[in-house]
Amino acid sequence: MTEPRDVGSAAMVRLVAGREISARVRDKNFIISSVVIILVLVGLLGFQVAVNSGSEQTRVGVAGDSAGLPQALEAQGEALGIDVTVVELADEAEARAAVDDEEVDGALLTGAAPELLVRESADGSLQAVVQGAVGQLALADQLAEAGITSLDVPEVAVTALDPDADTDGQRVVVAIIGIAVLYSLLILFGQFVAQGVVEEKASRVVELLLATMRPWQLLAGKILGLGVLGFAQILLIAVVGVAGALAFDIVDIPGDVVSTAVAVVGWFVLGYAFYAAVFAVAASLVSRQEDLGTVVMPTTLVLVVAFIVGIQAAANPDGTLAVVTSYVPGLSPLVMPVRQAAGEVAVWEVGLAVVLMLVAIALIVRLGGRVYAGALLRTSGKTKLREALRAERA
Amino acid sequence: MLEFDGLYKTYGTNRVLEGVSFTVAPGSMFGFCGSNGAGKTTTMRIAMGLLRAEAGEVRWQGRSLDQATRRRIGYMPEERGLYPKMKVGEQVAYFARLHGLDRAAATRAAGEWVERLGLGERRGDQVEKLSLGNQQRVQLAAALVSRPEVLILDEPFSGLDPIGVDSLAEALLGQVREGVPVVFSSHQLDLVERLCDSVGILARGRMVATGSVDDLRRREAGRLLRVVVPDAAPQWAGGLPGVRVVSEQAGDTLLELAAGTDDQTVLAAALRTGRVTHFAWQQPTLVELFREAVAAPALQEVAA
Repeated sequence: MTEPRDVGSAAMVRLVAGREISARVRDKNFIISSVVIILVLVGLLGFQVAVNSGSEQTRVGVAGDSAGLPQALEAQGEALGIDVTVVELADEAEARAAVDDEEVDGALLTGAAPELLVRESADGSLQAVVQGAVGQLALADQLAEAGITSLDVPEVAVTALDPDADTDGQRVVVAIIGIAVLYSLLILFGQFVAQGVVEEKASRVVELLLATMRPWQLLAGKILGLGVLGFAQILLIAVVGVAGALAFDIVDIPGDVVSTAVAVVGWFVLGYAFYAAVFAVAASLVSRQEDLGTVVMPTTLVLVVAFIVGIQAAANPDGTLAVVTSYVPGLSPLVMPVRQAAGEVAVWEVGLAVVLMLVAIALIVRLGGRVYAGALLRTSGKTKLREALRAERA
Repeated sequence: MLEFDGLYKTYGTNRVLEGVSFTVAPGSMFGFCGSNGAGKTTTMRIAMGLLRAEAGEVRWQGRSLDQATRRRIGYMPEERGLYPKMKVGEQVAYFARLHGLDRAAATRAAGEWVERLGLGERRGDQVEKLSLGNQQRVQLAAALVSRPEVLILDEPFSGLDPIGVDSLAEALLGQVREGVPVVFSSHQLDLVERLCDSVGILARGRMVATGSVDDLRRREAGRLLRVVVPDAAPQWAGGLPGVRVVSEQAGDTLLELAAGTDDQTVLAAALRTGRVTHFAWQQPTLVELFREAVAAPALQEVAA
């Protein structure tokens, strides 16, 4: 048998992390939640595709003398933003049959008194297209009869004042989906960390663990192990989401979507480090899973608030609330990505938010590590925060 | 030598340990006795670095214990603890790795120990699916798997059936034969008496008696006299000078003689009551030694 050797801190943390990963990937809850998240994402993409392809398409049948009408109908449709397809029909009988069979949305019977056949009622846009086309043709005919062949109608030039608005909108939508995923994963993995801590306390295995390692090594290993899983999951979601969006042509601006996705993944790392530490410390104060709810509640509430502010920031990315909260550690991971997506954020602003967040993480890990160490071996009931701080390795 | 040297520990105003010292030689078994709340668990937790003593230290081979040397100690906490959802084999291997074995060695050692403790067929089962007795064996495997240089076990026999007690005792004796010093706490004093080379009795934060069971006996012997006089009236020995009646039941009398009291006077008094079927100096059991050791200071306190 090989002689045991001394285990360094890094090796210890790796061992703990490895156990967390292998225990978690075999856990039914984890597998189910991962599958559900991916399914929801794919479902969302599918829904987007369905909605896009179902955009206004109108088939109009034309029966009788139809000189110039198809072109006029199509031109009208284009002007109104409706995709019009003209179907030539032989006579009224065929037109009625086509409408009955829903081959066309409406059939126009030309002549001196043009008539539009529809199945139940003509929707506004169909009527407008047909009315416009017929009217235009009639007007042209009458002008021609009056000897006027060319009419000088000034073309209206369009100048976009905010040409990026559309792409900004898309980026904001991506950011909202991004923070929704981020929020779900932070809650999910925060819970995993909290449950793991309580499981060790409840099963008393923690005493055996602490006989071989320092509390911070246990804490770090647990957070890192679950963090690797969480990171893998959000990366998978980002890749599936972005690839799906690009493949199905849901977005027009691949570069921006990718950069938003990258920002979301980056903020996940910071947000996770922060919340996982807070959840772990909170969980270390109780010894039973039943008591877990009450101690993690405040943190969960902060996350909910951050999510709501993030959604609000999408509507008003330059508002005071959004700007201020995008620097506040704990809120920034769910607000800053939205502001970044909406544009208008200087690099230094993002940098400042990141630095503040890192400082907060360092403080939480330091202070939280002491609470964790003090509370771990108190396996009766609920430990008060102050007691835990005082009792650290007492 | 495993040395516990002058450990002090207080919780608030409650002084739990007030200078606990004892030594355990390699290849010997030390029984750690004491009433509930006497401080046995606190002492062991201090040795494992789970609590910090206000004064004193625990040394192994002359060196104060630190995180690295503690990995060479096999420990079984009073409150048993295992990951309920982890498989038996993997769990034992995990603890082996925490104690410094590499992956291959840990897996091999875990396999050996699981087999040796009769859990071979349950290797792939989750710990929570095992009976309590089997969970206890896994716990023991976790303590022994890294081939520790020292064993510190808090109440290892509690909750075991007689067969479990025997197999655990056998495993511990095996460790002792390999030169490992073993410290265990127990309330089962008959077991301690049977297994241990030396015992220590802890009361109110102090070691009130340490040494081999024979040593303790010798210290106490010559004081208790058992006399069986079936025909005697109750309180027959009450009036004898220098004699205190410890217990009396249907003529079976236990007497404590003050120094200088002649046992032959007692015999004469006994013979006056009729037949004497038993007259001998008592070899105190560990239970009696324990009662004596734990009770004595309390009486002094009352007197003072």
